[in-house]
Amino acid sequence: MTKYKFTTVEEMPPLAFSLESTREIPTGSWRHVRPVYRDKNSPCHVTCPAGEKIPDYFELVRQKKYKEAWYKILEDNPLPGVTGRVCYHPCEGQCNRAGYDGAVAIHNIERFVADKNFKNRKLPAAVEARKSEKVAVIGSGPAGLSCAYQLSRLGYRSVIYEADHEPGGMLRYGIPDYRLPKKILDKEIKDIEALGVEIMVDSKIGDNVAWSELERYDAVFVAVGATHSRKIGAPGEDLKGVYTGIDFLKELSTGNVPKVGRQVLVLGGGNTAIDAARSALRLGKRVTVLYRRTRVEMPAVPEEIEEAEKEGVHFEFLVTPVKISGSKGKASEIELMKMQLGEPDESGRRRPVPVIGSNFSMRADTIISAIGEEPDLSFLPYSFLRKGIRLFVDDEHTTGVPGIFAGGDAATNPNGTVVNAIRAGKEAAISIHEFLGWRSRSNGVSHDAVKPEEVNTFYFPHEGRVEVPRITVQKSKTTFSEVNKTLTEEQALTEAERCFTCGTCLHCDVCMTFCPDVAISKDESGEYTIDYEHCKGCGICVNECPRGAMELVPEGAREAVEEVEHI
Amino acid sequence: MGQIKYQLPPDEVLAPGHFACPGCGATLTMRYALKALGRKTVVVIPACCWSVIDGPVPYSAAGVPVFHTAFETAASTASGVKAGLDAQGDHETTVLAFAGDGGTFDIGLQALSGAAERNEDFIYICYDNEAYMNTGIQRSSATPFGAWTTTTPAVSPKAEKKKNIIEILAAHRIPYLATASVAYPDDMIAKIRKAKDIRGFKFIHVFSPCPPGWKFEPEDSIKISRMAIESKVFPLIEIIDGIDYALSKEPDGIPVRDYIKMQGRFRHLNDEQIGIIQANVTEDWERLRAKFAPTRKVSRSRRDESTGENKSSQTRNVTRTKNARKRAQKSRG
Repeated sequence: MTKYKFTTVEEMPPLAFSLESTREIPTGSWRHVRPVYRDKNSPCHVTCPAGEKIPDYFELVRQKKYKEAWYKILEDNPLPGVTGRVCYHPCEGQCNRAGYDGAVAIHNIERFVADKNFKNRKLPAAVEARKSEKVAVIGSGPAGLSCAYQLSRLGYRSVIYEADHEPGGMLRYGIPDYRLPKKILDKEIKDIEALGVEIMVDSKIGDNVAWSELERYDAVFVAVGATHSRKIGAPGEDLKGVYTGIDFLKELSTGNVPKVGRQVLVLGGGNTAIDAARSALRLGKRVTVLYRRTRVEMPAVPEEIEEAEKEGVHFEFLVTPVKISGSKGKASEIELMKMQLGEPDESGRRRPVPVIGSNFSMRADTIISAIGEEPDLSFLPYSFLRKGIRLFVDDEHTTGVPGIFAGGDAATNPNGTVVNAIRAGKEAAISIHEFLGWRSRSNGVSHDAVKPEEVNTFYFPHEGRVEVPRITVQKSKTTFSEVNKTLTEEQALTEAERCFTCGTCLHCDVCMTFCPDVAISKDESGEYTIDYEHCKGCGICVNECPRGAMELVPEGAREAVEEVEHI
Repeated sequence: MGQIKYQLPPDEVLAPGHFACPGCGATLTMRYALKALGRKTVVVIPACCWSVIDGPVPYSAAGVPVFHTAFETAASTASGVKAGLDAQGDHETTVLAFAGDGGTFDIGLQALSGAAERNEDFIYICYDNEAYMNTGIQRSSATPFGAWTTTTPAVSPKAEKKKNIIEILAAHRIPYLATASVAYPDDMIAKIRKAKDIRGFKFIHVFSPCPPGWKFEPEDSIKISRMAIESKVFPLIEIIDGIDYALSKEPDGIPVRDYIKMQGRFRHLNDEQIGIIQANVTEDWERLRAKFAPTRKVSRSRRDESTGENKSSQTRNVTRTKNARKRAQKSRG
């Protein structure tokens, strides 16, 4: 049998054959929409008041680069061990996984990262050169600490004046140990001090430090917080056995045990009220929280209310105090009036309206009033613009007096949370930086975030949210040691894997896998290139992207042109 | 755990610049097939979309030798190419017949049956886009019940069910038979590689969505393919020797309606007709289900796996596959 083997094209019998590759054919001209890689914001990042770059540090956690993850958080928040424990984590409320199989436990991972770096004392070096200007910060609460910390990152020296004997403000005196152990707070404050921030304790402006002493600073940040409990406004509130929530918690946190009777009534529905109630419970007392609206309107963090209930705190809703009476100068009974909900007020919550003739009495050995806190601004020498009880500041945290800035609970638009104070401190530091004549890098956060429908959930098998380890309720209600525990490394990694990483390309190759036009390639550095010579713009890559990090833009649109110029 | 990722063979044999419509499933099928088989492959293509997609003379997209042949002759030409290679002493090169549903279910059926009966040693991939798409969307025997095509207009859509090509091929008792989908590239590539290592006739039926023919936006190609699997419209299976059935992926069991509603070719259907389709799908699924023991799940819901409830059947399946492999080796020897 003859074997046919053709060595040249000429030897082949006459038939049509192709030797060229279709690579020569620019099918990209068919396209009318163009896929582009475009990282977008995640809803958690947009929602985080401190602006933490959550998807970025999660990726570092997944790579087990815990120190780098810690540094990433520290860009925006110097107190991750604190916020990882006490933040009300609005980020989780907006998590795109919430509607799928439960929000990612973001704040538990934040706490894990902070605790993993507990022995790590060196904060990242300043991002800007040393400057000659000095800034005074009044108050060492979260706002003051955050501001001083950010200022030192920007190259400024700052001095914090703290009226109390120890720094931390509300973090130290307002949050009980079972939520925030002091050693965590001490560690993070010491780390900030190690950066060169000076904290002068026992230095109360207008008392043992004159306001005039601040004149040698180039700028001042007022962050004295809201430390005065609001008055109940009912007769008998000066009797023995009536505490304010703040005083009660402060006593406890300085190591003294306040004298409380068997039956403790707590007035109020905020975090101070819940903290006071759970603390009193730990002293072995019977505790009832009295609130003038209903459970839904309570401003306290819902998890805290649940915990309090689990531990055995009683709740009485729609009641308001009328009179406290007692014998021998000591409170023993409280007269209450029932309320009902009326029209919504300016806070959007329904206003409680008294029910006439519904008065009744309850036994009360100890009454803790925690119906709100106000700032004490009596030390200020001139009449600053105020709104209600707080200093009025604009978005840049300026007070109207040049060089004097304010933030946190002492100023307007706080909502009484740690993380909002941290944000105020950070924003004020940037404003001070600009006030001193420097240009800051853009701090603008675009509020467009990846929507749930932009996430391709096919790529994320169902996996429930981590169960946070904690001590039992039986144990927790008898001790001031911490209730919730830190996630184990395994739990943290599993939980970090649950994150969709909305809007940030993780180079997972899905776009490349499904391209029918073989038009996406990956270079050595792992970056993708779209071959627009051949891409027909089918859009599969954009549709399949698990995390909404791609977009289809009309051909010829401004974005498309920019993309080309970029290339 | 975490995100589902795919690791495909890195070599891109298929070239860009081909003539496929945007979002073409048949093109992804070819891309994955060539990734699985490598460059030592000869492709035989009868009249079908791919006659055009490969490019006009003097261009070709495939990156390997392609033999374009007449509509009914994919299987017979592939048999000849294989014989020719054998005659030259080349037993390494893989021969791949790559045909549409028209050239497989209808026009090429006798050649296909002949090659299957002779147990010719090549792989036959049918990329099924459920109509004659290349010539202008005419119905084929692969077109599903109720679908619009230019020859089954919306006023009288296709009244017959899709031909069950898998059962026809299974009746030929060929060594390896599988279904695959462009939405599960890892599964498809694994099956094609498995086929490459088996001697004799191998048939792989690939579900390949067609955006213009099915009337949907090209970006939804993969999504629709996935829904076809999840709704049990197109089960992912393997059949060894025409007898041993195994399920590759347990479907989530979403309503067929969700899949139908994505496509303009089903837009005219009323609830009653959709009900008929759902009933047919359920019935076919039950019939198929009876042929295999519940099996290892390549499922999204991996939790099912961890419960271990199917452990006994898993082991059973492993033994079945082992037996099949022995049989295959015997026939090779």
